[in-house]
Amino acid sequence: MVITSMKQQGKDIGLCLCRVCQQLNTTGRTHCLRCETELKVRDYGSLQKSWALLITAAILLVPANLYPITILTNQGQVRHDTIFSGIVHLVHSDMIPIAIIVFIASILVPWVKIIGLSIYLCAISFNLPISKKKLMVGFHVIEWIGRWSMLDLFVISLTVALVNMGQLLDAKPAPAATAFALVILLTQLAAKILDTRLLWDRLENQDDTN
Amino acid sequence: MTQIESPKVVKKKLFSPIWLLPIVALALGAWLGIKSIKESGVEIEIHFPSATGIDVGKTLVKYQGLTVGKVKDIGIDEALKGVNVKVVMDYRAKPFLNNETLFWLVTPKASITGVEGLDALFSGNYIGIQPGKGNPSTFFEAERQAPPMQIGTEGVMIELTSDKLGSLDVGSPIFFRQIPVGSVVSYRLAGNTNVVISAFIQEQYAQLVKKNSLFWNVSGVKVDASLTGIKVSSESLASILAGGVTFSSDDNAPKAQNGDRFSLYDSEANAIGGIDINLAMEDGNGVEKGTRIIYRGIHVGTIVSKQLTTNGVTAIAKFEYQYTHLLTNDGVFWLEGAEISLAGIKNPGRLLTGSVINFLPGTDPQTVTPSNFVLQSKAPDLLKSKKRFLTITSTENMGIAAGAEIRYKQLPIGTVLSVKLTQDLSAVEYQLELQPEFASLVRSDSYFVPESALAIEASLDGVSVKSRDFTTLTKGAVSLILGKSKTPLAANTSLPLFSSIDAATAFFDRQHKVHLTLISQDGADVSQGSPIYYKKMQIGMVESINWQNKTEDFAIKLAIDKQFQPLLQKPKVFWRNSAIEVNASLAGIDVAVAPLQGALKGSISLGLLDSVNIKPNKASTTLKLYENKQLALAQAQPIRLTLPASAKLDAKAAIRYQGHQVGEVSQVKLNADLNTLTATAYLYGEYADHFSRSDSEYHLVDAQISLIGIKAPETLITGPYIGVLPGKSSQTAAHFIANVVASSYANVPEDALKFTLEDANLGSMKVGTPIFFRGIKIGQIDGYSLSTQGNSVLMQAHIESQYSHLVNQSSQFWDASGIKVDVGIFSGAKIEAGSLETLLAGGINVATKATTQDSNRLANGTIITLQHKVQNEWQEWAPIQ
Repeated sequence: MVITSMKQQGKDIGLCLCRVCQQLNTTGRTHCLRCETELKVRDYGSLQKSWALLITAAILLVPANLYPITILTNQGQVRHDTIFSGIVHLVHSDMIPIAIIVFIASILVPWVKIIGLSIYLCAISFNLPISKKKLMVGFHVIEWIGRWSMLDLFVISLTVALVNMGQLLDAKPAPAATAFALVILLTQLAAKILDTRLLWDRLENQDDTN
Repeated sequence: MTQIESPKVVKKKLFSPIWLLPIVALALGAWLGIKSIKESGVEIEIHFPSATGIDVGKTLVKYQGLTVGKVKDIGIDEALKGVNVKVVMDYRAKPFLNNETLFWLVTPKASITGVEGLDALFSGNYIGIQPGKGNPSTFFEAERQAPPMQIGTEGVMIELTSDKLGSLDVGSPIFFRQIPVGSVVSYRLAGNTNVVISAFIQEQYAQLVKKNSLFWNVSGVKVDASLTGIKVSSESLASILAGGVTFSSDDNAPKAQNGDRFSLYDSEANAIGGIDINLAMEDGNGVEKGTRIIYRGIHVGTIVSKQLTTNGVTAIAKFEYQYTHLLTNDGVFWLEGAEISLAGIKNPGRLLTGSVINFLPGTDPQTVTPSNFVLQSKAPDLLKSKKRFLTITSTENMGIAAGAEIRYKQLPIGTVLSVKLTQDLSAVEYQLELQPEFASLVRSDSYFVPESALAIEASLDGVSVKSRDFTTLTKGAVSLILGKSKTPLAANTSLPLFSSIDAATAFFDRQHKVHLTLISQDGADVSQGSPIYYKKMQIGMVESINWQNKTEDFAIKLAIDKQFQPLLQKPKVFWRNSAIEVNASLAGIDVAVAPLQGALKGSISLGLLDSVNIKPNKASTTLKLYENKQLALAQAQPIRLTLPASAKLDAKAAIRYQGHQVGEVSQVKLNADLNTLTATAYLYGEYADHFSRSDSEYHLVDAQISLIGIKAPETLITGPYIGVLPGKSSQTAAHFIANVVASSYANVPEDALKFTLEDANLGSMKVGTPIFFRGIKIGQIDGYSLSTQGNSVLMQAHIESQYSHLVNQSSQFWDASGIKVDVGIFSGAKIEAGSLETLLAGGINVATKATTQDSNRLANGTIITLQHKVQNEWQEWAPIQ
């Protein structure tokens, strides 16, 4: 087999990579030689799944932001904080760096992720003319940044575990925490489940000059 | 090997099941959204006078602790008269947001009864809400303070009305039997005159509050200070500081409902109240508002008011409910205040508290409670009919006044009603009344003794001081002493009152005693009660001493215990004991000390006579009291001697006859005329007969020192004594005149031959000049005196009886004194001399011519001439006698 061009893809020469064990299989096989995983040359269904997950995440983003994420009892005084009010509170408490981190992790990242993902999916589904290079950069950024958006939940879970002094000082997760966690989870899943080869297929077909 | 398979055409599924996920999320979101819109709450505005303590976003609205809203915004009202607080209420609170719904600000409050709203300290103030009725509204005016009640709380909310708040405060506890069962939740003025206090009774105690429960204030400390002491009572520490309310309930009454209104009374007494009764009286002195009505010391009512009526004053009293069954038609009320008398202060507490009205229920079984009574001024004596009346008599009043207590074992059992003299004026008579229950104590041999307030009994056994209470001192008291008899006292007999128990015992002892009367010349140093000893054991006592005018002596009455009666059957003598008797003689010293008690009080001893000494009884029942034991045992007889003042006679001097003691002088006294002495003397009983005859002769014997020796030399040591010559008269006498000089024959034996020699000159004759017969002394000169004519000397002489036959009418007596020198020229010198004694003291010789016969016997008292010349023939006479 000779690779004739950079633009030549595995499927063109009848090869298919097992997504699990990275075994190279011929496209004729239905199951992986090594791990017997079902082989798909292209998972077109993943696009649909990704869309579904993304939309779900987007819907959940609303209650995650509107509902309080923590219930903080401080000396008998109960305080319900949404993500945003928590950031505002931090800003008011002159903790701007932390506020920035929380803002990025809890608001910016989910939003960016959802928006970014939806752009990819649109790009795949509607063949939007977006530069391959920009998409690549964006994809890397989303991949890398996505894991950090769990920061907020991580802080909440730590606080809940550590701060438990009854009426004097107590922190509890509020409904938004669940929603928020689902948003992060679903976006991650959406990114994960998407068969990115679909994206590259498209990119390969396009003029890559711009 | 390459095997090319034809591509399998799979029909593309239009929708993956994954799309359910967004649908579910959407549905969920939609539901959440709808719900949140639905539950977004109601916005209302509350107008507060100030925003103090209200924070935007922080201050909550709470109903029964449940948060139902939150302050959203505060704005100033247009008129600048306060603030409008915007509150977002929970959507569920919407039905309660009506016209009459009340809002108020709750702030944390720390008071003595506890800290309220501690949560508010941390969570901040909150706005309380009390739902009300009316039309839905969104604008409210805040209350200035919490409304009185919050219906719906578990438990009972009640309202108490009072004319003043007292020390009650929010949180003051409500007690039931001192257990806190609730608390005051608020109070407010109701109009101008009343305070309405809302109280909350906890659910578990709610059933204790009945429709007719009585509430009263127990605030603070109640100090009941009276003469009986200080009583401080309070419910709990909290109630001292914050006040408290307590209540009592009737078990059977229906339960109180929420919002029931009760009156709050000042005190339990006021709360419990009672029925009104009217007491009519002549004047209102001593009866004031608040004067208590007392039955057996228990407060049963209070005077509420008094008012003038046409014929006096009527006091209206509250008679407590629980005692109303005591009110009967014949119940008696009377006023009783403190009584100050010499016997003490009765009911001293009433000096401070004022008089009280005493109440005595009647016996009328009718329990219909009458309301009109008359206030008596004096206590009725309802027990009178049952009391035992008694008369006791005493020889004199023992200081017991009417009103004195009668006690039995120091317990009052009655009172002395009156004291008066008996009709014959011989005794004092007391009228007593005894409480009926003690009537049985009066028996036929009971008696009474007065109680002395202070009895000091000092005896050799020690000093004991007994004191009684003050009333005893002032009014006196009488103690009833029970007798042994079981027979009750017969009617119309009186019992005796003795001066003391001792006197009573003495009295009763006397009834069991043998009585004897002793006759004494003097008081014998004994007194009433002086003991009588037999062998140093007391057998009785002196009962009385009386002067007997007729016989000029003392009658000492003795009482001897009956058990010693056998002693009295025997021959006996009594003598008085001297405290110390020292019998000092050459034979030794004998000291006898009487028993000390007898020594101090004087005492009398009884002695028995040996049958040998018994004299024929003179048939006299009265016995003599002798000066001392010797006299007594000798049954001495007293005589009185009168002597010239010159006699150096002392008490204790002996009375001797022929040198033998036959009596003794007990006392010598110079008479008022200064010329004579009177000596009291005793003759020993066995000799008394002879020497108490009227012609007995008494004379003083003193030592006489002369040439012929010392006469009565013992008197040099013992002092002069009294010599006595027995008389022959059949008459007895007790009074004699003693001569200073003994009669000539004082010491001459009775049977000696006594005669008188007569001479012209005494010569060397002396008393004691011997009479010799053939040189042997047979007699002597006993005395001499001038003859009444003065022409001769008479010498009394005697011849001792064993020689009396040697002398008869034929005897010649001549003077043989001195030395007779016969000098003759022829006969030479002839010297005649008798013995040396005659040479010194002179002597008389006697010679007898004829044999003594009855015819020529010399009679006593014959006077014979003393010869001077001796005729020779006389010396030759030698008749055979």
